[in-house]
Amino acid sequence: MNSNIANNLFVRNIFLVAAAIALANCGTATFSKTGSDAEIESLRNFELAFIDQFAVPGKRFNAAAFDAKVNEGNANFQKAIADEKFTARRPVLVDLKGQFDADAAHLRSKASRGKVTPALASEMKKDVNKIYDHALGR
Amino acid sequence: MLTRSTIMPSAGKTKRKKSSRKRSELDSALDQVTDESVAASMKEFQDLLAQAKGDTSELIRQNAQELEERLVLLKQKKIDKEDFNFFVENQKRDLRVFVDSQPAQSQERAEKLTLHILEIAATKIVPVLIMMI
Repeated sequence: MNSNIANNLFVRNIFLVAAAIALANCGTATFSKTGSDAEIESLRNFELAFIDQFAVPGKRFNAAAFDAKVNEGNANFQKAIADEKFTARRPVLVDLKGQFDADAAHLRSKASRGKVTPALASEMKKDVNKIYDHALGR
Repeated sequence: MLTRSTIMPSAGKTKRKKSSRKRSELDSALDQVTDESVAASMKEFQDLLAQAKGDTSELIRQNAQELEERLVLLKQKKIDKEDFNFFVENQKRDLRVFVDSQPAQSQERAEKLTLHILEIAATKIVPVLIMMI
């Protein structure tokens, strides 16, 4: 009888410990994902600001400033990819980096020839917002 | 081979009855194409675009809407062919994940209403619109 009670208590304790571990893991995953979401939002804001700075019709193209901003962007993306704890998010960040590379290449090509239009800037920002929303599962 | 004369509007011949469906700016432009060699592509494109715009998937509808808006921007010379192709590549990159994530039986339709429309737009519609500018 006593050994039965002890067994039941042991099983109950094991169950409680398992439940606590599961809850703790769940909390960590949520915390990591929240941090990861904030990082993605920060990259979005960087990219939108980049477009605002260089996709300006009639503005003289400053190659040095452009390259500096692209280098800063590359460093931001590489750091975000390396620091990402939520491993399922890494390919998403790589895709977002691909979008940044494509935006930078197109913007360089257009801005250096003075061929930026207001519609180009607004459509570029529309695409950036869309791809980031999809990356965040919205 | 397309020439300006082959795609000139056939204006003034017969007055078209008002359609029950509101004609978009793009429809009006494409309706001016009378060249038989491109008419089939135009018709296929317009049919697929109408299907996509009425699809139950928000992503398919959104893609169709954006494509139409960008074709109109191209026609209005607010963006050029380079910009248009850049946006098509962006849309394709975004849509590939969507198409691949669809159930096997839905993939063909999803691809037709997204990637295939973009392909027709870039290869068949854009040259016609540029000729009309």
